[in-house]
Amino acid sequence: MIKGKCWVADDYVMAYDIIIQEYWTSAIDPEENSKWVMAGVKEEFNKENAFKDKGYTFIVAAHNFAGGGKSIEHVITGLRGAGIEAVFATSFARLQFRNATNYGLPFVTCDDIDKGCETGDELEYNPESGIIKNITKGTSFQSVPAAPFVAEISEAGGLMNYVREKIAKGEPIE
Amino acid sequence: MGMTITEKIMARNSGRDHVVPGQLVWTDVHTVMTMDYLGKTCFDKFRSLGKTEVFDKDKVICVSDHLVPPPNQKFATMLNEWREVVKQHDITNFYDLGRQGIAHQIMVEQGHVLPGTISIGTDSHANTYGAAGAVGNAIGVTDAAVAMATGKAWFRVPKSVKFNITGKWQPWVMAKDLSLHIMGMMHWNGHLLYKALEFTGPAIESLSMAGRMTLCNMTVDLGAKNGIVAPDKITERYLKGRTSDAWDMISSDDDAEYDQVYNIDISDLGPTIALPGKLDDTVPVEKLIGTKFNKAFVGTCTNGRLEDFAAMAKIMKGKQVHRDVNMILVPASQTVYLEALRAGHIETLIEAGAAVDTPSCAACAGIHTGVAGDGDVVLSAGNRNMTGRMGSKNAEIYLTSPSVVAASSIKGEITDPRTFDV
Repeated sequence: MIKGKCWVADDYVMAYDIIIQEYWTSAIDPEENSKWVMAGVKEEFNKENAFKDKGYTFIVAAHNFAGGGKSIEHVITGLRGAGIEAVFATSFARLQFRNATNYGLPFVTCDDIDKGCETGDELEYNPESGIIKNITKGTSFQSVPAAPFVAEISEAGGLMNYVREKIAKGEPIE
Repeated sequence: MGMTITEKIMARNSGRDHVVPGQLVWTDVHTVMTMDYLGKTCFDKFRSLGKTEVFDKDKVICVSDHLVPPPNQKFATMLNEWREVVKQHDITNFYDLGRQGIAHQIMVEQGHVLPGTISIGTDSHANTYGAAGAVGNAIGVTDAAVAMATGKAWFRVPKSVKFNITGKWQPWVMAKDLSLHIMGMMHWNGHLLYKALEFTGPAIESLSMAGRMTLCNMTVDLGAKNGIVAPDKITERYLKGRTSDAWDMISSDDDAEYDQVYNIDISDLGPTIALPGKLDDTVPVEKLIGTKFNKAFVGTCTNGRLEDFAAMAKIMKGKQVHRDVNMILVPASQTVYLEALRAGHIETLIEAGAAVDTPSCAACAGIHTGVAGDGDVVLSAGNRNMTGRMGSKNAEIYLTSPSVVAASSIKGEITDPRTFDV
């Protein structure tokens, strides 16, 4: 069970706004990437640690979260470093959905979630059942449960750990 | 039930007879590409998996494209670290400055992409590889590290969408115009999320490899997983001499299932332009005739190929770039550069007053070679036009085809190449 405050996007959230151009060539590091994460999304986040200091646990967004075709993983490590433990959206861009899966950060698809939450609401997410409760508003949403493979990667602590273990044990990847 | 070409490729490379959309599979990858600014991280992550040797030294393709030639000390140092790590892993195919090109151009042009197989790369425009009848897919550094170690990658089998393209191409209308037209029609922001886009029909069968690369390249900006053109005689002719690996003519079954099918007749398709800010904000060139701009840019993995240079040279021969326009041209690879030079295109373009720079991603990534400053209005044949993409947030980028950029650069305002006096 994960519990915490959410930030609700009021527009499309693009990958190149989560991590702005001048940081694309930075090292991939949660601490470093989180300093300027979301800098291009809103002017108020365009200050060092501005998003991170808000202490959000969840992001709630509408369609095509982290779209715009950037494959950089700084997007995921930046969100992770800023304390984000799950993102709820009506849909996700495939490149960043893939990266999130590989890092074990839940990108959870949920219809209408964007209309049912306001920034600052207290949410509770149950990864097993997929139920997202809005404690502030007393409402609840059923999200699409993670595919078994995605859950398996998440349980291993990400794709790197999953593959490292397989290699160490000499097990095939299939 | 039959399978689409993408499903067949996913099946044959995962050791299965059949796959269905939604299924998660681990597949073999034919090649894995990484480049200068992310490559070192890939190798570092790869070693952290407990491996020291990559799965196949011939199949890990390393390219210097985003940072070359280094415009500052930071990039020069990054490149030195990159060269060191590539050398350390004894990689066969390293396309460094001098032999460089934009990674996606290199992958196809140097025969590292094979019909019926899967190739992945750590840059979003890896969708380009679909032009050679392969599944080309963009991935992050984690997936690249895993593939370097194991020769494998995981995929969710996508649903397929068919674009059946009929009709005859009008003069000076290019694959880019079709790409932008589809962008406007489908909306770029995720309407085709996760889908495999298959381009077929008479107008595709007559399309060059360069055109097919442009078309597949921009499918990433539709949110798609991949774009693909089934291999045919044109593919066969192109690959001859580029690869000695065996491959076969793979195609979709007649009874394959598609999520959606779109029929587009291109007979009426004219030059198309995306307005600054959004890729799907497209209009026919007629709507913008006379619009002033001060910078012209042709290059990138979308439009930096020989036929793009040939089209520009034909339009600009014996003419002069307008005095209010700076035109910068960047061939997509050293091979393209040399071919354009030998064909006389480079000479024609320089005589016309265009600047030609060494192959790289150039200003498309907004980090060097002709970046945009405050107040610039750029007419570009690149692939992205969002605010700040080429540098300044106070610059505007119009996206279009090389033939529109060429004709417009002479006039100093947006011009329809069909009505231009060549």
